[in-house]
Amino acid sequence: MAADQAFVTLATNDSYARGAMVLGKSLKNHKTSKKLVVLIGPHVSDQSRAVLHNIYDEVRLVDVLDSGDAAHLAMMKRPDLGVTFTKLHCWTLTHYSKCVFMDADTLVVSNIDELFDREELSAAPDPGWPDCFNSGVFVFCPSNETYGKLLQYCTQHGSFDGGDQGVLNGFFSDWATADITKHLPFIYNMSSIAIYTYLPAFKQYGANAKVVHFLGQMKPWSYTYNPSQRRLKGDMQGSLDPSFLLEWWALYSGEVVPLLMGDYGDQPFYSGCEEDVAESTHVQPIMSSAERKQKWEQGQADYMGIDSFDNIQKKLDVFLK
Amino acid sequence: MRLSRSLSITSLSGLPLFEEESLPVEDLLLFEVAWEVTNKVGGIYTVIQTKAKITVDEWGENYFMMGPYYEHNFKTQVEKCEPPNQAIRAAMDSLINNGCQVHFGRWLIEGSPYVILFDIGAAAWNLDRWKGDLWSACGIGLPYHDREANDSLILGSLVAWFFKELTDQLQDKLNVVAHFHEWQAGTGLVLSRSRNLPLATIFTTHATLLGRYLCAGNADFYNNLDKFDIDREAGERQIYHRYCLERAAVHCAHVFTTVSQITAVEADHMLHRNPDVVTPNGLNVRKFSAMHEFQNLHSMNKSKIQEFVRGHFYGHLDFNLEKTLFFFIAGRYEFSNKGADLFLESLSRLNYLLRVHKSDVTVVVFFIMPAKTNNFNVESLKGQAVRKQLWDTAQSVKEKFGKKLYESLLRGEIPDMSKILDRDDFTIMKRAIYATQRHSLPPVTTHNMLDDSTDPILGNIRRIGLFNGRNDRVKIVFHPEFLSSTSPLLPMDYEEFVRGCHLGVFPSYYEPWGYTPGECTVMGIPSVTTNLSGFGCFMEEHVSDPSEYGIYIVDRRFRSADESCNQLTQFMFSFCQKSRRQRIIQRNRTERLSDLLDWRYLGRFYMHARHLALSRSFPEKFRPEHLNLTSTQGFRYPRPSSVPPSPSASIHSTPHHSDEEDDDTYDEEEEAERDRLNIKAPFSVGADTDGKRTQPVENGN
Repeated sequence: MAADQAFVTLATNDSYARGAMVLGKSLKNHKTSKKLVVLIGPHVSDQSRAVLHNIYDEVRLVDVLDSGDAAHLAMMKRPDLGVTFTKLHCWTLTHYSKCVFMDADTLVVSNIDELFDREELSAAPDPGWPDCFNSGVFVFCPSNETYGKLLQYCTQHGSFDGGDQGVLNGFFSDWATADITKHLPFIYNMSSIAIYTYLPAFKQYGANAKVVHFLGQMKPWSYTYNPSQRRLKGDMQGSLDPSFLLEWWALYSGEVVPLLMGDYGDQPFYSGCEEDVAESTHVQPIMSSAERKQKWEQGQADYMGIDSFDNIQKKLDVFLK
Repeated sequence: MRLSRSLSITSLSGLPLFEEESLPVEDLLLFEVAWEVTNKVGGIYTVIQTKAKITVDEWGENYFMMGPYYEHNFKTQVEKCEPPNQAIRAAMDSLINNGCQVHFGRWLIEGSPYVILFDIGAAAWNLDRWKGDLWSACGIGLPYHDREANDSLILGSLVAWFFKELTDQLQDKLNVVAHFHEWQAGTGLVLSRSRNLPLATIFTTHATLLGRYLCAGNADFYNNLDKFDIDREAGERQIYHRYCLERAAVHCAHVFTTVSQITAVEADHMLHRNPDVVTPNGLNVRKFSAMHEFQNLHSMNKSKIQEFVRGHFYGHLDFNLEKTLFFFIAGRYEFSNKGADLFLESLSRLNYLLRVHKSDVTVVVFFIMPAKTNNFNVESLKGQAVRKQLWDTAQSVKEKFGKKLYESLLRGEIPDMSKILDRDDFTIMKRAIYATQRHSLPPVTTHNMLDDSTDPILGNIRRIGLFNGRNDRVKIVFHPEFLSSTSPLLPMDYEEFVRGCHLGVFPSYYEPWGYTPGECTVMGIPSVTTNLSGFGCFMEEHVSDPSEYGIYIVDRRFRSADESCNQLTQFMFSFCQKSRRQRIIQRNRTERLSDLLDWRYLGRFYMHARHLALSRSFPEKFRPEHLNLTSTQGFRYPRPSSVPPSPSASIHSTPHHSDEEDDDTYDEEEEAERDRLNIKAPFSVGADTDGKRTQPVENGN
């Protein structure tokens, strides 16, 4: 029955698309027998889509605002849950009998096909409130009926945390008490938070990790990586143990960047790898212009990167010629 | 500040007059934009205020200064009036009709220039939109918390808007020159250029933003100039957005200027553009009608300082006031940047030299640097009270003595000296003398310092041990407050005090220009400066053997700190060995250098900058000038380096010669010839700029 089961992830922009590329590669490298599906938002670039097609069996565009269906109607009532509605779309993949959803900021470090032996809704405890499950990794069965009920639940109850985790914990509200077999071991969704909340346990069990979840503001793609030295640059405070980050980057720079280069062709793009930055003639911003401006206004201009004065000078030269 | 000097037969009136083809100012409008127009914040205020007269003399009613409007400043410094030019009126109205406030008037300073002042607060409602404009044009954002940066954007946006309206009105009838000072005004330059307004733009930095920060925190700024990663340095100090505004203005200006050679070097590294013109800072110099009046003023004001010293050092006046020299350092309290650290170390070495040479010269050194205090200390006030009491006692006894003498003479008798003063008089005098007994040393500082234990000047004084002991030939008085003619302690204003001193000492490490030694020069007072100060660079370039003219230039750029300290010590020691007559002659020479510092001559560099900007922005109408071809004058017969140095000082083995036997003579004609040989006219503006433009020429209208 392998043909009708799939891992599913979501990428709403090019940054998360890179995460999805690495996740897909890590699943394949660990010899998964399941299909790979990625849901993308309309803002993902053509080049990223091409690479995702290369890695994933199915790339599905989800544009909630562009549909006349129930999701759009629900969105009109709850516009704050925009990204959540996109994620809930995974329940419409009814050509699969069972799926495992994984956020794009996760990394698989061993084969996890055994997750498909679990029933809906199986997930690991959230480290912040263990009676809630973390929605970064969960087992579900696609169903239009369930999809409709989820939308209805959103319309009536909203989300207690403003995101999908609140919705799903509300909808599957008996997860904490009803069936212990639906509680996944923590090693299937090990977050970086574990390293500093219970360091001895991490030392004891961390080597058994199967899925690493890069929770928090800083994502792997927020750093800069030097492939020849296998070193990272950036604020490392949140990660006392960078080995998983380095594993992410080794996979990214070794297997994903070549695909990106193939699809970008002669166009320059920002890979995040130090050697490539030197070669490119133009740095394409990851953050939007509005996001960069906001960073300046918070006193956090990227003065060693995109906001260097050399780049400002290029902008000035446009009107000085 | 209007500094006066005397008319001397050998005044430098022979300096060449202007040879430049003058600009057709009737076809031009000149605007000068600075945050400090009518708004005194720092030294730039002095520059633009003292320069205004010569600019008005040249440009007349076509010259306008622009800055922020502050009600208090406007009421006390500006006479409100109507703009003389219809286009300016229309441009102002355009801003006013769109909800902003613009004020016009004459600034009540010499020259009475027109000012256009923009109300920042009234326009603050546009800030978010203007931040968007700045972001779109340059990719520079401003932090919410930086009020000064946000205000500079508002001013810059208003100025650019004004120029847009103005140039639309003028079309091709008049060309506009806009001169912007410092990053606070530079935003207006950037925005004007981003809109391709037909302006000839000049940007002047008086000191780079990052340079000042690095100097304050880094002890070896100049030796590492080429090693700084300037984006990183600015970012780490959280001034990155200001630094970007400054560099953007530098990059966009048709002409970039700074105030001295040393700041030009700094700008090259900190802003990555070499200044096109160095525009030194000048002063307004008024000539006295009486010859050598400045020497009389020196004598009068020296007496006032001597009175203070009598009070401050009561009980320890075992040194000869006629053999006492007054040195001083003054300025903002920037311990390292002003060179106070070097000065204190050098003073301890000077004290040692004077003692081992058994010199009869005493040096009283004044530190006039404002710091936090809670009023005068009791000891200082008591000193002046004791002095006054002694004076009163002496006057009282003198009066009684005179009266008795008079009466005795009237009786036809020579008075009996043993009876002319009675026992009570001796008692009064004895009591007065006992009151001068003192168990403590004269205080090093005149005030109670709030940070006594951590103050760097006091800390260094403790380290070097100069506590005004009897055997010390160098005495220190730290006056941590600006001078005031109403002070109960030292009732003199700054100019009077300077005139009464013998030597100003300003061994600055970071001093983009340095007005204090210039002010000394104009008053005829010798001074010490360094080759890291703009003034020092200027004098080094224009005066051969500046020491002879009372300008001692310490080499802090190419020598180690210890070598610089020794050099400063030697300068001061050799000054201490001068006879009174030699000092008088030197003051005459110093005072004659005033002409070099007069805006009437230094304004020439600003004229050149304007001409250059016009030739770059409107090349069809204005040709680049070739000033270097006509007016460069080198030194003539500078002192040969092979001349052996004078014999070094030695302990006197015979009685010291009296002043009457001094073989120095003062011959006016010889002095005039000396000036011709040693002083180079400041008209050279460096290499021919034709063909060396660093900016693409913008198409003129």
